[in-house]
Amino acid sequence: MSLELAANMGAAPKAEIPSDSPLAIRGMTVSYGQKPVVFSVDMTVAEGSMTAIIGPNGAGKSTLLKAALGIVQPLAGQALVYGKPLKSARHRIAYVPQRASVDWDFPTRVIDVVLMGLYRELGLLRRIRPHHIEKARACLERVGMTDFADRQIGQLSGGQQQRVFLARALAQEADLYLLDEPFAGVDAATEKAIIDVLKSLRSEGKTVVAVHHDLTSVRSYFDRVFLINTRKMAEGTVDEAFTSENLNQTYGGRLATGQIDQLELAAG
Amino acid sequence: MRFSRRGFIVAAAAAGLSGATPAFAGGKLQVVATTGMIADTARRIGGDAVEVKGLMGAGVDPHAYRQTRTDIVAMTKADLVLWHGLYLEAQMEDFFHKLEKRGTVVAVTDKLPRDLLRGHDDYADKFDPHVWMDPRLWVFVTERVRDALIEKMPAAEAQFVANAKAFLAELSDLSDYAKKSLTTVPEEARILLTAHDAFGYFGAAYGFSVLGVQGISTESEAGLNRISTLVDTLIERDIKAVFVESSVSDRTVRALVEGAAAKGHEVAIGGELFSDAMGPDGTYEGTYVGMIDHNITVISDALGGEVPERGMNDRLSAGS
Amino acid sequence: MFWNALTLQLGYNATLVTIGATLLGIAAGVTGTFLYLRKRALVSDAISHATLPGVGIAFMLMVLLGGDGRALPGLLLGAAVSSWIGLLCVSWLTRLTRLSEDAAIGAVLSVFFGFGIVLLTVIQAMGAGRAAGLESFLLGATAGMLFNDALVIAVGGALTLVAVLILRRPMTLLAFDPEYAAARGINVGRMDLAIMALALAVTVIGLKIVGLILIVAMLIIPPVTARFWTERTDHMVLISGLCGGLAAWIGAALSAVAPAMPTGPIIVLVSFGLFVTSLLLAPNRGVLAVYLRHMRFQRRVHLRQGLLALAQGQPIYEAYTVRLLKCAGLAHADGVPTEAGRARAAKALRDEKRWELVRADQAFESAAALYDGLRDIETVLTGDQIAEIDQRIGGPQGVAS
Repeated sequence: MSLELAANMGAAPKAEIPSDSPLAIRGMTVSYGQKPVVFSVDMTVAEGSMTAIIGPNGAGKSTLLKAALGIVQPLAGQALVYGKPLKSARHRIAYVPQRASVDWDFPTRVIDVVLMGLYRELGLLRRIRPHHIEKARACLERVGMTDFADRQIGQLSGGQQQRVFLARALAQEADLYLLDEPFAGVDAATEKAIIDVLKSLRSEGKTVVAVHHDLTSVRSYFDRVFLINTRKMAEGTVDEAFTSENLNQTYGGRLATGQIDQLELAAG
Repeated sequence: MRFSRRGFIVAAAAAGLSGATPAFAGGKLQVVATTGMIADTARRIGGDAVEVKGLMGAGVDPHAYRQTRTDIVAMTKADLVLWHGLYLEAQMEDFFHKLEKRGTVVAVTDKLPRDLLRGHDDYADKFDPHVWMDPRLWVFVTERVRDALIEKMPAAEAQFVANAKAFLAELSDLSDYAKKSLTTVPEEARILLTAHDAFGYFGAAYGFSVLGVQGISTESEAGLNRISTLVDTLIERDIKAVFVESSVSDRTVRALVEGAAAKGHEVAIGGELFSDAMGPDGTYEGTYVGMIDHNITVISDALGGEVPERGMNDRLSAGS
Repeated sequence: MFWNALTLQLGYNATLVTIGATLLGIAAGVTGTFLYLRKRALVSDAISHATLPGVGIAFMLMVLLGGDGRALPGLLLGAAVSSWIGLLCVSWLTRLTRLSEDAAIGAVLSVFFGFGIVLLTVIQAMGAGRAAGLESFLLGATAGMLFNDALVIAVGGALTLVAVLILRRPMTLLAFDPEYAAARGINVGRMDLAIMALALAVTVIGLKIVGLILIVAMLIIPPVTARFWTERTDHMVLISGLCGGLAAWIGAALSAVAPAMPTGPIIVLVSFGLFVTSLLLAPNRGVLAVYLRHMRFQRRVHLRQGLLALAQGQPIYEAYTVRLLKCAGLAHADGVPTEAGRARAAKALRDEKRWELVRADQAFESAAALYDGLRDIETVLTGDQIAEIDQRIGGPQGVAS
């Protein structure tokens, strides 16, 4: 991010938010108490892309997503979904939260969790019919969890739980998928299952944005990156933005020396 | 010891300042009484030589009453505190035992012959406190109040004796009126069903059987079982009227009426009785005589007896 | 006589109370489930204690306006209003200050309740109006229950159940995963208030029967009991309503039969009895079931380990294991295997080899998840799958005698 003084201040054209961007964030600022966690962040998600949001711990990655979704209240800033305010376009987003926020002793089965993804379709009162259950099972199939449908969620391993959450998001049949650290603490098999699903979503023309923690897999999984450390540091395709310079700036020396060299980075 | 010293000082002062009024606040004896009945009695006997403050007004339940800070101040400042005793003011028992040490406290029932008292259903060593229901028993209370006033203010003895005599005469009239009216109630109708068992002495004096939804104290639990039993009794003995009380919730009695109606038996609410508290201040029913007069008249009338509409002294308010 | 009470033959008053209490029990059980799932059980305590000043103020207002101070709808309205204010206070305290929720609840509960007691003391000395009867809201007073009271309870309970039916999905979603619920567009603050409002409704209609001190028990004990019987939320709601209704039915009948028994506390005791029974005897999560399962598991582990040891010619260390083998006819007292024992040992070893393969192969993931060291592999894989595995690990082997 370059902090250069503009030659002609005030002459910038009126901010235009692209109406076809699945998620466009402008000037987002979020703070916990007096401490800013996200400060004046702009982000434009490209349609059909798979974007990784990366940054050090506490950089505001999850908070950015939550503010965009209205889960936390921002101090300033706005987010538009496909050019519309959140309220009218919410149904086009599916959110997969971090696993840790759920009580796993909750009395619910895997199939019930996936059915929660269908609540918009079911409304308040419509009964659950066989075709709803079929749909839920199909989503479970896509993540490889069909045999677990009747298990209580507490009986699952971490990776299996993560896949159930993804199945729930799939059931929403959204256009934009926001995932918060989907690969954190999961086994290799789960990681493969999840990335396969995400890639198939992209091939269907859907858009995927994920907060990602593992720098070594950025290049193989994603085509765009967004670097953040409270402020936006860089945004663009992996080739453009996933550079050692940007990473150094974002991580501020928190990466061990040599770690950056080990990543497959674009030159310059 | 303190008693006689005080008495000596008072007597000496009285003797020394012959003809002068004793040194009480405003010249009057300051008396605090718990129930309205005691307060009224004290006023009748004391006349203008006393100033009586009653703690429990109309509609107040003495079984449940807890003294407030203002009450405590009034009682500690008073020259004489009159309370009922016999565990009527159940929540204030401890307080009065502590206050007794000051020597200004008199339980007006303490000289009542114990063999005239009814036993308590639930406690072997306690008595039914509702003695005001029988004017003949209230005679003992009147005399006790008179004696207590004389002790505190000997100079006014003559006045107190005269007033008491007049009051006792009214009590006698009341007793006669009761006998006359209540004997006109047909024998089979002489059943008095009220919200709590307050009318035991009334029943014993005038040949009525008495039933209460709650026991002798309103603090006792009114069980659901009791309601069903009473509904059965109501129907079995063909009771035509039951009574609510001014100081107790009327819901249990209304529940009885509904329960009997469900079994096809019409029971009316014969009227509101003054059980543990008198009527509103300033009215005839707000005096002891008026209270008992009202009760007798309403009960007789509702159960089929012959009574003058406005009671013994023709002073009951219309429609009571 | 108890049977008569249970079958509603004990007369009008007992029947009225029993039906009213049962409706209350069902509504409380159902509503309380969502409180429990949302982990807000104790807020209901604040709600119930905060009703007291409202009852007092409503009484004084009604008397001031010349009416009968004890009209039930008026008192209940007052209870609802002050309780709602108490709820809002808890919400504001947690949001605007650094107070944790349980501290906020404690503060509101005690302040409101204390204020209510003060009002009751003031009222007791009020000459105007018939004051007696307000203390009955503390522990309930069913002896004075009239038809209109039962009507209020029935209508209130029915409305509450309808509201729960309508809101069950958003409430469940919110309780399970609040962030996801927010992302789906559910207004978390408002939905939480809705859950509290339902608890408030149940509290207010329950004031007459069980009183404000014990209504908490009717909201919380049934869901806790139901938790032992099911792993599904929808079933839990139903079972909770059932437990609440059943406890109320039995409790009311008991109080109608025994002399001078207060209905509210008896219902709570019956409810607790159901809870203890479930705690001990529920088939999956009950203490007895867990213990028996554990003992059985321990036995099977020992048997399995014993068989494997035999198969591999290793010594058996524990006498308990030998005893188990002997009882099952698989070995003699000195540890030497019988014919049957040898066959079983061979099979056990083979199964271990099969399991080894299964657990290493990604394709058998869901089967692998069921491995607990004991299961026969036939219960998890089909014959074809087992045959396929057998091909890869070679033929069966005998056990040295």
